[in-house]
Amino acid sequence: MSLEQTNQFRQFEFSGNAKEWFGIWIVNLLLSIVTVGVYSAWAKVRTKKYFYNNTSVEGRNFDYHATGGQILKGRLIVIAALVVFQITITVLPIAGLILVLALLVGYPWLLTRAMMFNARQSSFSNVRFNFVGTYGRAAMVYLVYPILCLLTLYTTAPILDRTIKRFSINNHKLGLAGFDMDAPISAFYKAAGLALLWIVVVFVAAIFFFGFSFGALANMDALVEDDPSVFIAMMAAFYAVFFAGIIPAGFIYQALTRNAIYNGTTVEGGHKLRSNIGAGKLLWIALSNMVVVVCTLGLMLPWAQVRMTQYLADHTGVELGGSLDDFIGTQHEATTALGDAYSDIEGIDVGLPI
Amino acid sequence: MMQQVTLNGHAYIRGSSRRIPARLEIAKHGGETWLRVLPETEAELSCARLLDIAIDPALGRAARKLTFQDGTVFETTDHAGFAFLDSHTHGARLHRLERFGPHLIGFTLACLAGAFLLWRYGLDILAALAVAMTPAVLVEQIDRGTMQTIDYVMAEPSQLSHEERDRALGIYQAVIAELPEAERSARDFQLLFRHMPEVGPNAFALPGGTMVMTDALLREFPSEDVIAAILGHEIAHVVEEHGLRRLYRSLGAYVLIALLAGDTGPMLEDVLLEGNALLSLSYSRTQETAADEFGLALSHQAGFDPVGLKVFFKALESEMGSGSEWRSSHPSHSARIEAIDAFIETLPAR
Repeated sequence: MSLEQTNQFRQFEFSGNAKEWFGIWIVNLLLSIVTVGVYSAWAKVRTKKYFYNNTSVEGRNFDYHATGGQILKGRLIVIAALVVFQITITVLPIAGLILVLALLVGYPWLLTRAMMFNARQSSFSNVRFNFVGTYGRAAMVYLVYPILCLLTLYTTAPILDRTIKRFSINNHKLGLAGFDMDAPISAFYKAAGLALLWIVVVFVAAIFFFGFSFGALANMDALVEDDPSVFIAMMAAFYAVFFAGIIPAGFIYQALTRNAIYNGTTVEGGHKLRSNIGAGKLLWIALSNMVVVVCTLGLMLPWAQVRMTQYLADHTGVELGGSLDDFIGTQHEATTALGDAYSDIEGIDVGLPI
Repeated sequence: MMQQVTLNGHAYIRGSSRRIPARLEIAKHGGETWLRVLPETEAELSCARLLDIAIDPALGRAARKLTFQDGTVFETTDHAGFAFLDSHTHGARLHRLERFGPHLIGFTLACLAGAFLLWRYGLDILAALAVAMTPAVLVEQIDRGTMQTIDYVMAEPSQLSHEERDRALGIYQAVIAELPEAERSARDFQLLFRHMPEVGPNAFALPGGTMVMTDALLREFPSEDVIAAILGHEIAHVVEEHGLRRLYRSLGAYVLIALLAGDTGPMLEDVLLEGNALLSLSYSRTQETAADEFGLALSHQAGFDPVGLKVFFKALESEMGSGSEWRSSHPSHSARIEAIDAFIETLPAR
C-alpha cells in the first residue's frame, strides 16, 4: 500500500540500518555501564541524532542539537532531588506529603519544560522547532482533565487523548510556522472501540478455551497453598491474556489514531501530513520485534528499532502546499534540561509530533 | 605547499530552511586551512579558518555537517572527501569503535559482564558510600519519623505488664552487652514494645538503633532463648546497616535502569524492573540469613541456647506452612531451621 503519489507529495525517508546502529548502540551501552550511567547523557544525544539525521523529507534531514553536558546537568539535579524526596518521605512523612503535593503542582511545569527543551534542540532543514504551551493549559490537560475523565468512568478517554495530542501538536512550531491538528473525535472513539472489541474477543476466547474462571481467582491463595504449580499456571494464563489481548489492543489504537492525527495535521504554509499505517502490519512488526528482542536478550533491539522506524517512515509523508525552502527560524534562549531529565527518568515520552 | 579539496553538498543560511546546492573548497594558505562555501548560482556564502568552524562528530553514514561562525551550515554525504577533515574533529575514535566488526562481539560480552558486576558489586559499593555519607542526625530522624508513622497507622501502646517488659529488657541488656563497645556507642540502641494486632508475633529494627517487639511475640514465645535470638537478629540488622543499604540500593538500581532504558527499549526495561524486584528480594533474603547468623552468635555469647530460634521457626512453620522462597523477602522457615542446625554444629560441645 503506498501513499497517494501526486506532484506535491513527499515521502519520509529513513536511511539508517541495523548493522550500523548496532555498533553505535552497543558502544553507548558499554560506555554507560562502565561509567555507572554518566555516559548515558551522551548516549541519549547520539541515539536521537542518529535517528533524526537519518530521517529526511526531500533530502532535508532532522537534527538534534542538545549536548551531553546539558543533559547530564539536568539529570544530576533530578537525581539529587529524587534522593532528597525519598529520604524526606522516610524521615518526615508529613513533610513528604507536602513534597508530593509540590511535585503534583510542578508536574505540568516539568512536562512543558521537557517539551520546550526537546523542541528547541531539534531542527528540520536547518530550522529549529519551538514549543509554546503554557503552564495553565498544561495543568488543565495533565491534571484537571484526567480527573474529569475518571469521573466519567473513562468513557471520555478518547476525548482526553485527543486533547493531550492537540496540546502537544498545536503548541509546536517549526520556526515561525505553527502546527494545527484537527482530527475528528469520532476517529478516536472508533479506534478505542475497536481496541476494546479486541480485548473482549480475547477474554471470551480465553474463558472458552482455558475454562478460566474468576471464581478460581478469588480463592487463588488456597489453591496455591495446595500446589505451587497452580500459581505458575495462573501467572502464565494472566500473561497469555495480557499479550494476546491488551498489547495488541494498544497497537490497534495507536495505528488508527496515528493515521487520524497525521492526516488531520497541517503545518502553516499549506503542508498537510499524511499517514497510512496498517493496524495489522504494525501489530505484526511490534509483536515479532518483541519476541526477537526478548529471545536474544536484547541484542536484536537495534534491528527492531530500525525496522519499526523504517516502517513508520515508509508510511508517512507530507503533501506540500509550497516550497520547504520557506521556513524561517527564530532565536530562543536555551531552556534548562530539568524537565527533560525528569521525563527521561520517569519514562514519560515527550517527543516531537513528527 | 598548496593543497585543495572540493566537496559537493548543500548549504543553509542561518535561520532559513532554504537548501542551496553548493560546494566546499578546502585550501591551505600560509600554514592555515581555510574553508569556503560556494553556492552553485550565487556568490560566496562564507569563508573561515578551520579552527573557527564547528564540525559535528561522525555518526554512522549520516550526512556530515559544518557550522560557520556566521551560522552558515554546509552538509555533505561525501564521506571519503570529508575524511580529510576528520583528523581535526573529536569523536573520530568513537566513530571507529562503533563500526560493525568482530570487535563488537567483545563489546557485547563486556556489556553483559559489566552489567553483572555493576549489579553484583557496583550497587553495593555505591550504597555503602551513600550510607557512610548519611549524617547520624538524619539516621536518628529516620527512626523518629518511622515510629511516628507506625504509631499513627498501625500500632497501639503495649498492653504488657511491667514484669513482662522488664524481663524482655533484661534479656536485651544481656545480649547487647556482648556487642563491642565501639558498635554499642556508635548508635542510640533502644527497645520499644507495641501492640500491633495486624502484625502478629514479630519484631523489627530501624536504621538508627530503635527495635520494636510486638506484644504477641512476647506472649506467644515467652522463652528467654527465643527472645535473645530474635533480639540478636534485629541488632545485626542495625549494626550491619541493612535497612539503609537496601534503601539506597533500590534507589540506585531504579535510577540506573531508568537511565539505561533509552538504550534497552521499553519492553526490556519492564523485564529489567521485574528482574530487579526479584533480585532485590534475593538480596533481602541474604541479609536475613546474615542477620540470623550474627544474632545466633551474639545470643550464644550472652549465654542463651541457639536452639531457641529453631523452636520459634518450627512453630511458625507449623502455623503458616513453608511457602516457596523466591517471591518472599525472607528465607523459608525450613531453610532458616537448617541454617541454625548448621550453626549449632559448629559450636564446641559445652
